[in-house]
Amino acid sequence: MAIPIITAPTDAATRLAGPLVPLDLGGGGLSAAETCELLEAFGEGSRDPGLGLAAVAHAVLATVPMRAFGTPDQRRHYLPRMASGEWTGAVSLLQTQGASLAPTVNAQRAEKNWILDGTVDLVAGAPAAHHFLVIAADPDGERTAFLVDRDTPGLQVEPTGSGAMPSCLWGRLTVDSCRLGDDAVLGTPRAAAREVEPLLAALDWVFTCAPWIGVMRALLGDAVADARDRHRFGRPLAHSQSVRLDLADMAVQCELAAGMLHRAAAEFDVGTRSGARPSYEHAATTRLFTAAAVRSVTAAAAHLHSADGLAERAHRDAAFFAATGGGGEVLRAVVAASVLELG
Amino acid sequence: MLRIDHPRTAHPGIAARAADTDTTGHIPAQNWKELADAGYGALFHSDEDGGSGADSDAQVAAMEALARDCPSTYWSATVSSLLCAKLIATYGDSTHRPLLHALISGRRLAAFGVVETAAGSDAGTYQTTVRPASPPGSAGPAGTGFTITGEKSRITNAPNADLAVVLARRERAAGDDGPDWCLAFVDLHQPGVHRYAIPHMGLRGMPWGGLVFTDALVAEADVIPVPLDELSEGMTWGWLLVSVAAIGIAESALAASVAHAGSRVSFGRPLAHMEGVQAQIALSRAEIDAARLLARRAAAERTAGRPARSLIAMLKIYATEMAVGVTERAVQIHGATGVTAGHEVERLYRDAQMNVIGAFASNRLRELVAENLGLGPAVYAPFDWVRSTGLAQDPVGLNGPSLEGT
Ligand SMILES: Cc1cc2nc3c(=O)[nH]c(=O)nc-3n(C[C@H](O)[C@H](O)[C@H](O)COP(=O)(O)OP(=O)(O)OC[C@H]3O[C@@H](n4cnc5c(N)ncnc54)[C@H](O)[C@@H]3O)c2cc1C
Repeated sequence: MAIPIITAPTDAATRLAGPLVPLDLGGGGLSAAETCELLEAFGEGSRDPGLGLAAVAHAVLATVPMRAFGTPDQRRHYLPRMASGEWTGAVSLLQTQGASLAPTVNAQRAEKNWILDGTVDLVAGAPAAHHFLVIAADPDGERTAFLVDRDTPGLQVEPTGSGAMPSCLWGRLTVDSCRLGDDAVLGTPRAAAREVEPLLAALDWVFTCAPWIGVMRALLGDAVADARDRHRFGRPLAHSQSVRLDLADMAVQCELAAGMLHRAAAEFDVGTRSGARPSYEHAATTRLFTAAAVRSVTAAAAHLHSADGLAERAHRDAAFFAATGGGGEVLRAVVAASVLELG
Repeated sequence: MLRIDHPRTAHPGIAARAADTDTTGHIPAQNWKELADAGYGALFHSDEDGGSGADSDAQVAAMEALARDCPSTYWSATVSSLLCAKLIATYGDSTHRPLLHALISGRRLAAFGVVETAAGSDAGTYQTTVRPASPPGSAGPAGTGFTITGEKSRITNAPNADLAVVLARRERAAGDDGPDWCLAFVDLHQPGVHRYAIPHMGLRGMPWGGLVFTDALVAEADVIPVPLDELSEGMTWGWLLVSVAAIGIAESALAASVAHAGSRVSFGRPLAHMEGVQAQIALSRAEIDAARLLARRAAAERTAGRPARSLIAMLKIYATEMAVGVTERAVQIHGATGVTAGHEVERLYRDAQMNVIGAFASNRLRELVAENLGLGPAVYAPFDWVRSTGLAQDPVGLNGPSLEGT
């Protein structure tokens, strides 16, 4: 099974598969800000939050940690094929929240190898994936990031249904005495907690918002068209003040969320005013805000009936979106930790 | 790592006097001196107009910093040196340069008189009229001046301004097919002007009240015919300034909440360790950021001279209502301290609500945003469409009509 939009051999699809892969490795060489715009447009045009998430999982969550922490060999091996769409990478959305969830994959050192055992659920893009980014914990709790190829003996992928975002293609990954060499380690061994994990978290918080900006715009467009077409009480809906005020608020939420997203994305290109690194606080507030915006926009649009059922799908998927990335519980705690300088 | 990219105190003296300014309902002279020394008003204007030509981010940052220090002082100073001065720079000519410089430097204070005693949201209710002076002679060479008559009400700086930029109807002579409306730059130190103050809930230090013009004189050069539509783009400076007031107020309320949460001990630990408090603080943090980012974008558009009516309307709707929510949370985090008269968050809570109303109330702006979404102009009709549907009548009970009246 493949994700058509990612593997289709057209120019545009190549860019969607590898916008963040550097040009010299065959990628689109786009900035983070440009990639966001691309993903926004993809969300608006595809009218499919699941497909948008699939694109983010591959082109951002699976790609950027490799670009940032991969050895030259790892980068040369994976990134050109990921950029062309030949290979897709997959990541579990349960592994983008640092250690806030207990680890479900264990790593044991055996001679010069690592032995991985365990199961991870909610792996976005798993059924089609060529390889997986997996975080595993040592017996003493230290965590390491691994690149695990699909054909590794002992690895199993089970496609799973998901109540939401079905077009993302979900799966459960089981590793049973999977033997990996040091060349499968991404970044410093036992240092995922300060390398790959914070990056994965911020990437999830920021970039999964991008397709949603496009979906919200599509819903707003549908809602405006609907208000122009339909009548209630013998009056066009466009004359109804409650409809008008609701639509105004939808538009406001779109603009606000886009502003949050653009700041956070741009920080991956240029850092913040006072440092070279993106701010985790900005990444988390972006997700916290956008999740609320998406909930309110999809709720306001829930009455729409388009042929492709976008309103129903988006309403369902919005609940899922708001619950991932740690959901409000993790995001509020993270933002509070930063603002209160505690935690 | 960066956390704080929002302004802190820029004018410590003004901030230290903010509580007093609220209690006494009076902006101290020292505030004006410090603002003039800091070149506050100059930031908003180009070099040619006598300003210092700050970029839009710097303008928003300076505005927010003052709004954080003292919202009342911010409102009064910014209405004059930004809003009124922009209108004079846009619609005035070379004869108005001394006036412009006086406002920018803070030597004189201006008010912007639009709203009257009837529904402020509806320009159709404004009655104030400018007509040719008669008998000739009063404001300059015979027959060339104008008089203005009418009452502007709920106007910032009305009680103490030197000058008012007034939106008025034009009484047109036969053959004059210019616009129905004009801006009149009216000297407020003259016998035809009476003013009054109106006590108000928040922004108490900000002078606020009415201007009654009874055949007050206006020189010919100070009456500029302007189509109402065009003027609304100028008014967006007002919406922007109010939005930034809201953002500054919200940021101050959040800062106070963070400080209080860090020091107030309950159940053996500071409140900051309570997840309920954290959730309120995190939400406020996210919402203020969202508003500020939109403010920067809107200001950049507006400063670049591009039309930004819809964007600034969106900003004003969100930022002002957001600040009401943030200050409400701040009061709650402070407990009884927060509802004690004279406490900072009690003052900010009162101040926040003023921004929702001032310079076009939220729902009036939502109508404007809706129109710009392509829904057509607002349609106002008498509310008469429910009864004909049969929905506005009590239904029978479970047993039907048979038992009624028994
Ligand atoms: C702090 C402050 C400073 C001010 N400074 C100035 C100033 O310097 N110059 C000046 O000219 N004015 C000033 N005003 C007045 C202000 O512009 C008006 O109060 C405002 O435009 C609303 O008018 P109104 O109070 O008459 O309310 P109304 O017009 O009576 O409206 C009352 C309510 O009805 C709603 N409403 C009105 N029309 C509609 C509609 N079409 N659709 C839906 N809802 C609607 C409004 O949103 C509002 O909530 C100031 C007001 C405040 C609070």
